[in-house]
Amino acid sequence: MQYTIFLFGLNHKTADVEVREAFALADGGVLERALVTRESPIREALVLSTCNRVEILVSGSPASEAASLVLSRWAGHCNRDAASLAPHIYVHSGTDAVEHVFRVASGLDSMVLGEPQILGQMKDAYRRAVSNGATGVILNRLLHKAFSTAKKVRTATGIGASAVSISYAAVELAKRIFGETAGKKAMLIGAGEMAELAATHLLTSGISHLFVANRTFSRAQELAERFHGTAIPFEDLAEHLPEADIVISSTGAPQAIIRARDIKDVLKKRRQRPMFFIDIAVPRDIDPDVNSLDNVYLYDIDDLREVVEENLAQRKEEAARAGEIVREQVESFSHWLKALDLSPTIVDVLRYGEDIAKRELCKTLRRLGPDVPPETAKALERLALSISHKILHEPIVFLKRRSRENAGERFLDLIRRVFDLDKESVPEDAHGRGANEPACDCEDEISNKASASCVPTSSRN
Amino acid sequence: MTPDNLLFLAVIGLYLSGTVLYLLGVLWHAQTLRRVSYIAAIAGFILHSACLGLSLREEAGTTLLRGEFYFSLLAWSLLLIFFFLWWRLRMDFLGLLASPLALILFLSSQAVGGARQLPETLAGLFFGLHIGSLFLSISLLAMACGSGAGYLFLERKIKTKEKLTGFARALPSLSSFDRANQWAVTGGFPLYTIGLVSGFLWAKLTWQRIFSWDPKEVVAIFIWLLFAFLFHQRLFMGWRGRKTAWLAIWVFSLSIVSMLVINFFMPTHHSFAS
Repeated sequence: MQYTIFLFGLNHKTADVEVREAFALADGGVLERALVTRESPIREALVLSTCNRVEILVSGSPASEAASLVLSRWAGHCNRDAASLAPHIYVHSGTDAVEHVFRVASGLDSMVLGEPQILGQMKDAYRRAVSNGATGVILNRLLHKAFSTAKKVRTATGIGASAVSISYAAVELAKRIFGETAGKKAMLIGAGEMAELAATHLLTSGISHLFVANRTFSRAQELAERFHGTAIPFEDLAEHLPEADIVISSTGAPQAIIRARDIKDVLKKRRQRPMFFIDIAVPRDIDPDVNSLDNVYLYDIDDLREVVEENLAQRKEEAARAGEIVREQVESFSHWLKALDLSPTIVDVLRYGEDIAKRELCKTLRRLGPDVPPETAKALERLALSISHKILHEPIVFLKRRSRENAGERFLDLIRRVFDLDKESVPEDAHGRGANEPACDCEDEISNKASASCVPTSSRN
Repeated sequence: MTPDNLLFLAVIGLYLSGTVLYLLGVLWHAQTLRRVSYIAAIAGFILHSACLGLSLREEAGTTLLRGEFYFSLLAWSLLLIFFFLWWRLRMDFLGLLASPLALILFLSSQAVGGARQLPETLAGLFFGLHIGSLFLSISLLAMACGSGAGYLFLERKIKTKEKLTGFARALPSLSSFDRANQWAVTGGFPLYTIGLVSGFLWAKLTWQRIFSWDPKEVVAIFIWLLFAFLFHQRLFMGWRGRKTAWLAIWVFSLSIVSMLVINFFMPTHHSFAS
């Protein structure tokens, strides 16, 4: 029996904030359990819900009812109509779905290209799905492959470095201005992925307190809770501004929300202590005039990008290389998925035994010398082959019996791994990593840090 | 070669190597070179102190009458302030300013020759106060000027969003520069005031006149007013950053003018030459 992987989702490109908020799944685990039932055609499910995307990944029989089932359950969970959801979503199946998952994990589908936070959120969602028992052999394999692909993309291309380095550059600049960031207070105005990332970096560099102002107050509260900060209503922004040394702004406001004349008053209240504004919103939230004030420094995302010397062409090139890595990994995964069926596995197991028998036969014949009569050689060959067939007989009977059961692919996968039929139990680079190990570790550390204090949206509330 | 000369040459050599090594250390990003330069500067400073002490002990009467002693003393107090700032703020960058300046002053202390006769009341309390506080204050101003220049340089780079490379990267933060300015202003202004007042009192005792329209006195009053403005704005109006950096640079440049130009080219009773 063959399985198909489906992916249903919406993201910042297909749906605007209101839609994303309406269809966000605060607790993905509930939907996962509802999808994976005994009579459902869906065998495995994983729900990933962040502020920028909702992705529902399922595997099951290639029947078309899976799509309508997922959509109606999804909309039902959000108390909405499935029809209002339909125009905003994308559906991928088979290798397209696999590629999409790999791209999301690598941050290639993110608003900030290559940002590492999504990987942490995906890992958290996967961990929850596993503990719910919602995943099986296919999604397990798919997600593990997605994580290793993301790591490969991050180490082999500079794509992850750029997203990290922008917030790194912001922290570095803050250090140039304030000496040390320890004990300084920061404020987030609006809260996108990048703002969260920058806030995370600032917090690890020793910021003492974080204010969060957001138009949707509940979202501000969520974030404030996560970073142990204070949520403030958007209207009270001006009141709290004098307390903030570093301000990160990323609202979706169509025009500037902070102007030079507002900041003049703020500075008076602060007795001219310096302020550092980081504006990562497009269009910009903070009037560029602000930079002309004494003791005020304003950087927008392009300035920061320039600081880390990142040009667009280079980024595109990196993205193309990352895309290549993703495609390679998709191919290798598809190969595994195709082979995860009874007859190819039996063929592979038998061939595995025959290969060993033939290798050993060659060795023995060489040792016996050139004057072995042909009938002896023939007999030896028969002996070797039949031993290998006899030994493999029981495993094959076991497979045939078990693969008719529910979740039989588990045993197919087990046998494939026991005999290493996909030749990949040991990564190719497992022994040759010495040269770039420090870089890799460092990257890991950064992404770990970035995701350390970030719980995915799905498990908030 | 006399021991005095030897000591003098050793001080020059140590200051010179300290300066050069520090510059190279900054340019080549070599931490060891910079560390060696600190050691050279500290050793030079110790020998310099010994030098001053020896000349005071041996011929206290005539030393106090010689201009070169005061130049040497100014170089010494400059370095003293630098070491203090370095210890408190980790601002080794000021070494770039302090060590060449101290070297020049120390060298010129040998160039300015010739004793001159001063009144007997000279060794009194007021004279000591006058010289000591003014020299410390000018040393503080030199540091404020140096950190002000550093502040303006770095601030410009950050404002114009230039990429910080090499030298700019090795600089301390804007807030450290500003703190150096604050210390120099809060410490320097009272010292300058003490120096000025004690000078006038001493003049009253010596010449029976508080103010004699000496060019140096006029400039000193002007500097004091400017310094007072800076002190006031800094402490009570909350000025900081660019404006105070510029003011400190102005005040220091004026004091240098009053010290060198007026001393050498204008008739004044503050002249070191007789």
